[in-house]
Amino acid sequence: MNITSLYPQWVFTHGPALLVVLPLMMAVITALLPSKNAVGAKLAWLFTLGTVVVCALLAFALLMQVISHGPVSYAMGGWEPPIGIGYYIDALNAPILLLITVIGTLCMIYALPSIAAEVEPTKRALFYSAFLVSFAGLLGMVATGDAFNVFVFLEVSSISTYVLVAMGASRDRRALTSAYNYLMMGSIGATFFVIGIGFIYMQTGTLNMIDIARVLQDGGVDSRVTKLAFAFIVIGLGLKLAMFPLHTWLPGAYAYAPSFVTAFLAATATKAALYLLLRFSFTIFDPSWDFVAKSLMYLLAGMGIVGMMVASLQAIFQNDIRRVLAFSSVAQVGYMLLGVGMVTTLGLTAGYLHMLNHAIMKGALFIAVGAFWYRFGITQVSDMKGLGKTMPLTMAGFTIAGLSLIGVPGTVGFVSKLALVRAAAENGWWWAVGVIVVTSILAIIYIGRLIEQAYFHPAPKIGNKTVAKNEAPLAMLIPLWILAISAIVLGINAEWTTSLAEAAAHVLSGGPIVEFPHAVGGH
Amino acid sequence: MINFLTSFSPAFILIAAGIVAAFTPLYQGRKFLMIAAPALVLVLINIMYLNGDADGALGGYFQVAGIELTTIRIDNISIIWGNIFAFAGILNGIFGLHEKCKITDTSALIYTGAGLGAVFAGDLITLFMFWELLALSSVFIVWRGGKESYPAGMRYLAMHILSGVLLLAGAVIYGKATGSYEFNNIGIDAPGGKLMLLAFGIKAGFPFLHNWIQDSYPKSSVTGTVILSVFTTKLAIYALLRGFAGTEILIYIGGVMTVFPVFFAVLENDLRKVLSYSLNNQLGFMVAGIGIGSSLALNGVAAHVVVDILFKGLLFMSMGAVLHRVGTAKASELGGLFRTMPLTTLFCLIGAGSISAFPMMGGFISKSMIIAAMFEGHHYIVFGMLLFASAGVLEHSGIKVPYFAFFSHDSGKRPKEAPWNMLVAMGIASFLCIYLAWPWGGEFVGFKGLYAMLPHDTTTGAAEFHPYTADHVVFQMQLLMGAMFAFTFLKRFGWYPPERRAQILDFDWTYRRLGLNLLKWIDAMWTRLGALIIYMLKTMFGRIGTRLYHVFSPAGALSQAAPSGIAAVFTAAMLAALLLGAYLF
Amino acid sequence: MAKKPKKNTTGLTRAQIKERTEAHPLAVPFLWLGKEKIIKNFIFVPLFGLIFFSLLGFKYPLHHPASWDFAFSYTLIGFAAYSFVVLMAWPLFKLLARDENYYGEEDND
Repeated sequence: MNITSLYPQWVFTHGPALLVVLPLMMAVITALLPSKNAVGAKLAWLFTLGTVVVCALLAFALLMQVISHGPVSYAMGGWEPPIGIGYYIDALNAPILLLITVIGTLCMIYALPSIAAEVEPTKRALFYSAFLVSFAGLLGMVATGDAFNVFVFLEVSSISTYVLVAMGASRDRRALTSAYNYLMMGSIGATFFVIGIGFIYMQTGTLNMIDIARVLQDGGVDSRVTKLAFAFIVIGLGLKLAMFPLHTWLPGAYAYAPSFVTAFLAATATKAALYLLLRFSFTIFDPSWDFVAKSLMYLLAGMGIVGMMVASLQAIFQNDIRRVLAFSSVAQVGYMLLGVGMVTTLGLTAGYLHMLNHAIMKGALFIAVGAFWYRFGITQVSDMKGLGKTMPLTMAGFTIAGLSLIGVPGTVGFVSKLALVRAAAENGWWWAVGVIVVTSILAIIYIGRLIEQAYFHPAPKIGNKTVAKNEAPLAMLIPLWILAISAIVLGINAEWTTSLAEAAAHVLSGGPIVEFPHAVGGH
Repeated sequence: MINFLTSFSPAFILIAAGIVAAFTPLYQGRKFLMIAAPALVLVLINIMYLNGDADGALGGYFQVAGIELTTIRIDNISIIWGNIFAFAGILNGIFGLHEKCKITDTSALIYTGAGLGAVFAGDLITLFMFWELLALSSVFIVWRGGKESYPAGMRYLAMHILSGVLLLAGAVIYGKATGSYEFNNIGIDAPGGKLMLLAFGIKAGFPFLHNWIQDSYPKSSVTGTVILSVFTTKLAIYALLRGFAGTEILIYIGGVMTVFPVFFAVLENDLRKVLSYSLNNQLGFMVAGIGIGSSLALNGVAAHVVVDILFKGLLFMSMGAVLHRVGTAKASELGGLFRTMPLTTLFCLIGAGSISAFPMMGGFISKSMIIAAMFEGHHYIVFGMLLFASAGVLEHSGIKVPYFAFFSHDSGKRPKEAPWNMLVAMGIASFLCIYLAWPWGGEFVGFKGLYAMLPHDTTTGAAEFHPYTADHVVFQMQLLMGAMFAFTFLKRFGWYPPERRAQILDFDWTYRRLGLNLLKWIDAMWTRLGALIIYMLKTMFGRIGTRLYHVFSPAGALSQAAPSGIAAVFTAAMLAALLLGAYLF
Repeated sequence: MAKKPKKNTTGLTRAQIKERTEAHPLAVPFLWLGKEKIIKNFIFVPLFGLIFFSLLGFKYPLHHPASWDFAFSYTLIGFAAYSFVVLMAWPLFKLLARDENYYGEEDND
């Protein structure tokens, strides 16, 4: 049976716009909800959950559409691009949209108990509203086909994210400095990015991505301005996606934000930025141009390798669980960049696959860590003693995701690491294979340290009594286990995710996209 | 029916049984699984094998990341390992019947499953997966040995993960170069071949890579050591035989492996550690046999694996029974136990006789094949080493273990006889040790039955071999009697070193002491260096402008997150680098 | 006290009776193995065995002898190899033995 036949036709015609507009509008409504009492907060949660679920369904429909019928284009307000703002969805960004919305849905389920514990009641409705804005911003920057529009949504999502991170202050005051740090760095990144867009505009006189690519192809590339634009855009996005050594905002932001925000950000935000980097480097600029190829190889792969090593080492020496995982995220970004930096179909597939898989495992890990805090107030590695006994189900989910992060066979982590190893081998980068192996061992150490604490130490005693079993609430266990089980299922049968990644890599290796597809909506 | 059977590896039955055991609260239920699951697998693999064609039974195909995996390959070589592994699984189940530990039961089943899965792996990726599962499942068995076993378990895990990683790296290089991941003869000169040889070598206890055996096995629990001694190292032998038969360097590696543990075994006081060295020494015979690669040698290796699992298991079981009843297996604390543990003594003596290769006992019919093949291959130096090691085996496993535990001076300890289930397990192993060396009877009775299972025909042709010839029996007895006389002689004149409690240094000193101290030193230096760098940064920024620094770094924030000021500098520096690149290219 | 006359009739000392009562029933017929005299004179068993098989070596020479082999060469190899291994233990123990808690991971038995 064809799933797409279950959707009404307007989903395909107006889906791209709805995906962004719906959460934005709902954000306004949610902000206006009465916020003085618990009912208002609950209502806000329901509204938000409903919105993300609808968005997830839309994103799924769009992905199906893209798989079966090719790229979807949408002209905002009926103005055909390149004059109007166009949305453009193909095999490269459709999976990212689905990823963001699905992770958003799972995190929203998790948010109910988590936010109730971490955010003051009067701020909850506003919190959800800020989340919806950030959510819309992420979707917007992925879905849009307009370079300046990307900047707008980048800022929309970033600014609301700073707010979300700062909301962690009621739990830990250090959230404020972290948010501030994030704000500074994020703004620098956005500024670099917009400067780069400015140079492009100067060079090409257009802001539509396809149009830019066409003009650049026609006009040749031997222009200092083009190179300058590329450099600014890569550095700006590099900051956003936490490329080493521009990652310094990330550990603080992940460690002190509310658990829900960390789980959502870790699984989605850097992925969206990485998508943009792919979009700009491969389909707008041309990787066959010398300086693009060289920057991809030396900057992305080089920094990816250094980041894998250094961040993994740093992760080993952290005492805060979320900082361990945050540094591990920086290292994992390195894996993805390494794959991308190879500029081969296999490498791109591996990098893209790792991006999808990493979202699954990091989401699960951060959700579990939030549950540890929720039940026992645990933030430090040394406090994890006995969690295998006191929170067996949560810890089991954490362990599965952790093993996946290490790359144990039968999990998604193994699939993408194997793909990466194969890609590196095919490229003749034996040193990269070595680095992957070494960092996997480092991952065994930093994840093993956590698991070891939980399973091989007795639960602490209060007075004379051992701490009793106190499992996380169902609303936390369900998203955790959905992710943990998919980490195994997609690890054993990786065909679907691999085919998505291959389709994305196919788009990327096809070179710049200069042809407009027929716009299907907006009239 | 057969199609259904060959659709998935029988290893999964054991792994599933292990998972079920993890959730079975009643220990009787788990014990049933411990015996029934390997028994079922034993039957199934033979059905599959008998229904297979000339290449053996192939199956269990599935795809991972674009590579087709063959998880079942039961041919005339892997069936030998499969049978003895499954059988050893049953014996372990019986031996551990008294123990009510869920973790051991679960991991033992999964471990057995992983061992079988790896033996039946038709490609390198499947082999790698079970290879890692083998390490992960067995480390829990090591850790059941108590608190002291924890660091040993960590070192064990580190070695085995390293082995797995090397295997994967080698497999990928090999697969890339040859376009095939099939696990057949690899050869040391194939791309990735050396990496895989090293991976197998770690598990097989090559010299300098061997310490994990003597480190972890003696520290495991009573039942744990018995289970561990079966699978990991013998799997490595299988992998070497499949991939590197006839690789000349293995002859010399094997020769060294047979000789050096002999010296350590004399020094060691802990009898389970003595047996671990002895295990290493027996592996040496097998590795040397694989190095020769002639059909006679490979027959010898296969036969020796079967017999070795039985007698080495038997010896570990008897020492396990002693440990279970007395609480220690240290020679200096034991002695005179035959008074109260006569059956255990008898079984231990049968095991000792088998490993020493007394005629009519296990080792005689298998080890002699390897030694004969070594002679035929004109490797006289290694041949001499193997003869020397044969006398050494008699010293540590044949005499030292039973003598110091059960005879020697009376320690005054009067433990009870081993529990009935241990006696049954030891009894079965003892019976087979003798039965498999039984010289008389029809075509498939005694040693002829074992020989019939071997991959090459032993009655005629290149692999023709008859163990019970008068000269062979006589000269083997000469060797053993000469050595036994030396023992009594040295003992009589007080030249035999007394058993003393001590830590004997082996190659692991390099990482347990030297490496650790080096790391500690680096750590101390690193801390100092870090402090110095922070101090220098502080003064540097102080000079540039303290005020600016304070704007970006709220007091105390340095320890929480890198200040955005520094990060901004990084950003600018990277942009500058990229622009410079763009300018130059 | 009831055992006293019995001791006189069987000719067993008090220590022997204690040993018998403590031993496993199957081990009782073999308790002589623990006697000092037996242990001391056990040396003759391998000695006779050695002489016996060395003589047999003349009757059944090796089918495929190495160039150094003769009628009782394996006896000498066995004796020499064994003695070498055991005697090497003295210097090796001096060289390699350390306190049991050398690595700080002492076990308790």
